[in-house]
Amino acid sequence: MKIMSYHNMSAASVARKIRSGEFSVSDIVRACLECIGNMDGTLNALITREDQKALQRAAFLEKAIASGEDPGPLAGVPVIVKDNMCTRDIRTTCASRILADWRPPYNSTVVEALENAGAVILGKSNMDEFAMGSSTEHSAFGPCRNPWDTERVPGGSSGGSAAAVAAGYVPLALGSDTGGSIRQPASLCGIYGLKPTYGLISRYGLIAFASSLDQIGPFTRNVEDLALALNVLAKPDHRDSTCSRKARPDYLEALETGSLSGKKVGLVKEFRNYRLPPEISASVDRILKILQEAGAIIEEVSLPVTMTSGLGAYYIIAPAEASSNLARYDGVRYGLSAEADDLLSLYLKTRKAGFGSEVKRRILTGTYVLSSGYYDAYYLTAQKVRQIITREFAEAFSRVDTLIMPTSPSPAFRIGELVDDPIQMYMMDVFTLPVNLAGLPGLSLNGGYSAEGLPLGVQMVGPKWGELEILSMAHVIERELGPAPIAPGGVTDEN
Amino acid sequence: MKTDFSPVIGLEIHVQLNTLSKLFCPCSTDYIGTVPNTNVCPVCLGLPGTLPVLNGKVVESAVRTALAIHCRINDATRFHRKNYFYPDLPKAYQISQYDLPVGEEGYIDINTEDGSSKRIGIIRLHLEEDAGKLVHAAADGRLAGATSSYVDYNRAGVPLAEIVSAPDLSSPAEAKEYVSRLRQLVRYLGVSDGDMEKGSMRVDANISVKCSDGRWGNRTEIKNMNSLRAMERGLAYEIERQSGILEKGGTIVQETRHWNDAQGITLSSRSKEEAHDYRYFPEPDLPPLFLPDGYVEKMASTLPEMPWIRESRFIRDYSLPEKDVAVITENPDLADLFEECVSGGASPERTSNWIRTEVLRVIHERKIPVSEFPLSSSVLAELIALIDSGKVSNTAAKEVFECILQTGVTIDEALVRCEVQAGGISGSRLENIIREILQNNVPVVQTIRAGEDKKGKKGKFLMGLVMRETRGQADPREVREMLSELLGQ
Repeated sequence: MKIMSYHNMSAASVARKIRSGEFSVSDIVRACLECIGNMDGTLNALITREDQKALQRAAFLEKAIASGEDPGPLAGVPVIVKDNMCTRDIRTTCASRILADWRPPYNSTVVEALENAGAVILGKSNMDEFAMGSSTEHSAFGPCRNPWDTERVPGGSSGGSAAAVAAGYVPLALGSDTGGSIRQPASLCGIYGLKPTYGLISRYGLIAFASSLDQIGPFTRNVEDLALALNVLAKPDHRDSTCSRKARPDYLEALETGSLSGKKVGLVKEFRNYRLPPEISASVDRILKILQEAGAIIEEVSLPVTMTSGLGAYYIIAPAEASSNLARYDGVRYGLSAEADDLLSLYLKTRKAGFGSEVKRRILTGTYVLSSGYYDAYYLTAQKVRQIITREFAEAFSRVDTLIMPTSPSPAFRIGELVDDPIQMYMMDVFTLPVNLAGLPGLSLNGGYSAEGLPLGVQMVGPKWGELEILSMAHVIERELGPAPIAPGGVTDEN
Repeated sequence: MKTDFSPVIGLEIHVQLNTLSKLFCPCSTDYIGTVPNTNVCPVCLGLPGTLPVLNGKVVESAVRTALAIHCRINDATRFHRKNYFYPDLPKAYQISQYDLPVGEEGYIDINTEDGSSKRIGIIRLHLEEDAGKLVHAAADGRLAGATSSYVDYNRAGVPLAEIVSAPDLSSPAEAKEYVSRLRQLVRYLGVSDGDMEKGSMRVDANISVKCSDGRWGNRTEIKNMNSLRAMERGLAYEIERQSGILEKGGTIVQETRHWNDAQGITLSSRSKEEAHDYRYFPEPDLPPLFLPDGYVEKMASTLPEMPWIRESRFIRDYSLPEKDVAVITENPDLADLFEECVSGGASPERTSNWIRTEVLRVIHERKIPVSEFPLSSSVLAELIALIDSGKVSNTAAKEVFECILQTGVTIDEALVRCEVQAGGISGSRLENIIREILQNNVPVVQTIRAGEDKKGKKGKFLMGLVMRETRGQADPREVREMLSELLGQ
């Protein structure tokens, strides 16, 4: 079998074929590792490769299958995990010098879930340091490149996972999304990315950026795989008090019954206030048309506070939490530890050498907004705005079933283009971060291409616990547009 | 005219709650004497990616304690992060409470020196996690002169209830009374051993001095007072120090001072730690805690008889002096032992005496908690009842008591071993003992018989020998009669 035929496969079909014995776990794992070996020198989507562990695990799963065991719904599916999710004994760096050699003694809940479902982890993906960024350029391990155009960024912060799925390394990768870090790279890489409702998937073992906003989610090239991933990942977890204890539906099963007649889709009209390339509006219109033809009713919805004040609130709350979450990297217990003569210089030298500039910027911002005398003006005000945004969304969802807007104000930009302009970089999250502030589920799917042939994502937002709603609509769209293709710079028969 | 100075004292007391597991993880809270860094896990080490999970038992202890000190319980509470860097703090923030503590606005009544009762306000009781412990590599284990330090995280995450009093205390004696009361209370509740020396109860004091001429000095915070005695001395010193400065017209520097027990002084601690802005904000990893309907009532129903109620009951029901009752009821296990003995047939007065002398002596000598006192209440009750009925003398009973303590035999066996006969030594057996003593002390006997024992000293000497020989098992009146008969008086 040619390499290509593996790499186009969905996670669901890999699992089906492995369960039916069409090919072995080692077959696909070897093929994926080979392609990663060929391509990752260019893309730099992975920080850590675990070829040997992956092959051992493949052999282990094969033995289990041979003895009649069913490894689970992700039987033999090769996956890649963002490098901010703890993997026992596998280096987990957050793309930071401060954790460059850190090997966690424990597995995150999602890694446990993937393995219990039969998946094979091939490596850890590149990202913006501590998930702070929208381009995967802020990495201590060098920038990741977009397989659609290797001169361009894949988005971020989960750019490595998005690039890996878009390039055909694996059918499924995990990312984390604090202000758009799954949806924006999914958009820039032309694939599917889902940020679930806050509390749907356990954060235990996810190295925190902003605890009240972080959520783990999947990247795939089709909707069925998103549902499959949710079935595996979305479970209550006693180790995460913010993870909901409510029962989750069978996302795969419910997908098949999705019908759009009578469904109401709200178009968030404020996105038109932003200067966007015309192709972005066109891709939104294209998606709306498909939904309309499938029976959905489209109406305009206004989120005035959300679309004007969300960004400001986000860039207070997220850095505030980050400044506290990242304080533990002090060189005392683990990670980078600078040579120093006294305690204060140990702290100063370690953190100076260990953190990159963007992380430092956010720690400074966060420390400032929490400081006495400024707390009320910044942090408290931002929390009030957050409440208003949450209410605005809730009101909208009392009238419509889902909301539509672009995922990103821009297609993939050039490496280096925005890296020295933090405000422009922060703007990349303007359509995605309100969804985190409100704790809602958001999905990005491809809605078309720019004049240069770069993918353009459209974002679908659901009400709290409304994953099924947006998955079902995305499914309808996929039936029309087909699954996401492997990027031109990705795996081909030749490589 | 001479200026008078009156101290104004408020105490912040950290009570370590004795739950089996830590505040936010399942690790054991047993950190004293355990190998460093063995009772730890990714959560209490604050490893990246870990999350706290609230221990429900800790909430129970906190709510029960807050109820016992008459606090209003907040049905909705939440946790905050208190951010600061220190090597013993694994996450570089302490999970604590800020705006919505478990309990607020309570009080404790204490007895003052003049015998009256005084109400001390409690501002709040909140939960927080303990930090690890630094061990400095200097020869004496102190920071000064150490070239390196080690951290033991076994204590990190152990639950603490911080109880903040109003500035209602006006003397070191009152402060001592307040702390004793609180210590007694947490022991009654069974939520902490309240041991200041072991650090399971830590007291920091805020203290200022008010002058009769209307001036009011700044306050200082005194730390490192590791026993009741140290606290009394530390406060007395600080009052003296502040009054002295004010007397000379000076001003008090508002600062944190450390009590140095060896030197008997407080010293300014001008460390960088003092300039903290803790940047409190709500802990996003823990949802707000809503106490379910009926929870507070349920906790209230588990409260034991409060020590002050027990005290007045003991005074009333057993007709014991207040001072003695204070000793017996200081520790709930001791008070239980007392009541069990009394209900086992021992007289209250004698039981009170025995507990305050013999039982407490053994406990102090052996440095054991009351709960580990080796004699069961039924054995103790039986022994005391034997004295009550006159069958065994007090002296003999003490010997039997020692015998049981040393050997662990039954009371019957101990009576045999000590040759104690219920009913005592009398008649011919007593006569034989006296005759033998007289034979061994011929010069004394001769002096008495010659009528030269004018002050009766020699007679008392012989009396004492007999009582010692009979180990108190003889009736003194019989001894006296028999002695004078045999001396021919």
